[in-house]
Amino acid sequence: MQSIERTLSNLAKVLLPVLAFGLVVGCTTPKAKAPAGKSTTAAAPQGATLWAQNCGFCHNSRSPDSLGNAQWDVVTVHMRLRANLTADDARQISAFLRSSH
Amino acid sequence: MNPRSLTAVSACVLSLATGGALLAQSADDKDTITVPKREFQQLLEEHRQMMQEMKALKAQIGKTATLEKSVADNDTAIEDLEKQIKETKQIAKDAAQGSTKFHLGGYGSATYTAQDNGGANGFAATFNPIFLWKINDKVFFEGEAEFELGGTETSTALEMAHISYIANDYLTVSAGKFLNPANYFVERQHMAWVNKLPDKPLAVYDGLMPETEVGFQARGAVPVGPFKIGYAAYVANAPQLKTDLSSPADLGSLEYNNFDNVGRHISTGGRVGIHLLPEFEIGYGAQYADVAPVGYGHSVKSFLQSVDASYVRDSIALKGVLNAKVQWVWSHIDRFDYDPAGGLGDGFDRAMKRNGGYAQIAYRPTHCDMAFVKNVEFVFRYDLIQQANTPVGVDERRSTVGLDYWIGPSTVVKTAYEFDHQSGANASRHNTLLIQLATGF
Repeated sequence: MQSIERTLSNLAKVLLPVLAFGLVVGCTTPKAKAPAGKSTTAAAPQGATLWAQNCGFCHNSRSPDSLGNAQWDVVTVHMRLRANLTADDARQISAFLRSSH
Repeated sequence: MNPRSLTAVSACVLSLATGGALLAQSADDKDTITVPKREFQQLLEEHRQMMQEMKALKAQIGKTATLEKSVADNDTAIEDLEKQIKETKQIAKDAAQGSTKFHLGGYGSATYTAQDNGGANGFAATFNPIFLWKINDKVFFEGEAEFELGGTETSTALEMAHISYIANDYLTVSAGKFLNPANYFVERQHMAWVNKLPDKPLAVYDGLMPETEVGFQARGAVPVGPFKIGYAAYVANAPQLKTDLSSPADLGSLEYNNFDNVGRHISTGGRVGIHLLPEFEIGYGAQYADVAPVGYGHSVKSFLQSVDASYVRDSIALKGVLNAKVQWVWSHIDRFDYDPAGGLGDGFDRAMKRNGGYAQIAYRPTHCDMAFVKNVEFVFRYDLIQQANTPVGVDERRSTVGLDYWIGPSTVVKTAYEFDHQSGANASRHNTLLIQLATGF
């Protein structure tokens, strides 16, 4: 019983402050509004934003011109599988990287 | 007066008479002009010629316009053709075997470690080349080797080697040796240039959950409303329960590199992660397996669990990037009598329960105007593992402060100091200074 209590206590010390921080910051962050006359789908983050968000979630983003199109094609598939990107996000990121050359 | 003179005088009189009549007529009707027939015919001929020339000019202009249109059409056609040639060249280039569908990446590091209280002191180096092949749009291969220099020896290992089939937008199946998807740190953060501190956290790495699995996995991601849900599920060789009495401290722990599948069991596991916001993800992973030694006659279940949360925000208000991560793992192994003869004393007929994890926060002022400062990253991590009530006999907690300097997006110099605290029968505290140069390529 003491072990369980100690575990929960440590878990609370570690987990709760980070979760609380994330929720507070997340809830107080104003959400981007869709431009008038455009659907939310059209206003959704596109390739460049998705690239910055998804790559930066785990590591620093490398410059799009650090690799050629063929190489990015391979790396994008690798990262789609590794980081569980949605297929649509991966396609938009790939299109952005191609357009950057 | 001769007849000739008479005729001339008569003509003059007649002319005057005629001219006077004409003047009188002009005065009567100013809109009417009387032109001699010859002059009229000449003017008519000139008009006819001008009309013909105008017609010819019109025809010429029409031809020129047609020609210009034709030239414009040709230019467009040439542009289309050039575009098609470019696309065809790219397709041919992309379809070529070899380097166009292959990428060699990876990472490497050099680390200096100095521990007090007689602990380790020295340099180590690692090199992890990663080979990626996109066989076609559906088939993908990933392989990673690991070379690690420590002390006087270089160890080599196959970190991963698996082939994936992308069934559709939401499902990919893989087979081979792959990073354990249930363990967030291992799959997403353990690479030397990604991990923000020179060493890895307790419990989650080389600890309570496997780093790799040999088997099959299915994984994918599904957008659900405003959220994105990622999943992975696998079946693999089960870990091996350590029962060797010659290593009492290891009794009741699990050998994850069970490539021969000594116990002949299969483990099942997976993880579900939900992006509640683009910058915030929570996840839960688990693995379940029977780890009973061959011939034991009963099952001995192991149940490993992990929860993780990650928050990464690039904030103008904070003038930089805030990166917070937390993961906690539990390991439970059913009761088993490791020492039936009792030669090691009491306490070896029991269930084994361990847990531990880490919380880490990092801040890099990327929006600062000073080039030097924007490359600096401050890191703090608290990690622990609790296994004092197992044969290991130690609980360990560490607080680590780190300062990184990013030379490039994937090259970093890391410095850190760890304050170590251990408790339990086998405790031995070592504070540690770590310096590491790591790069990803």
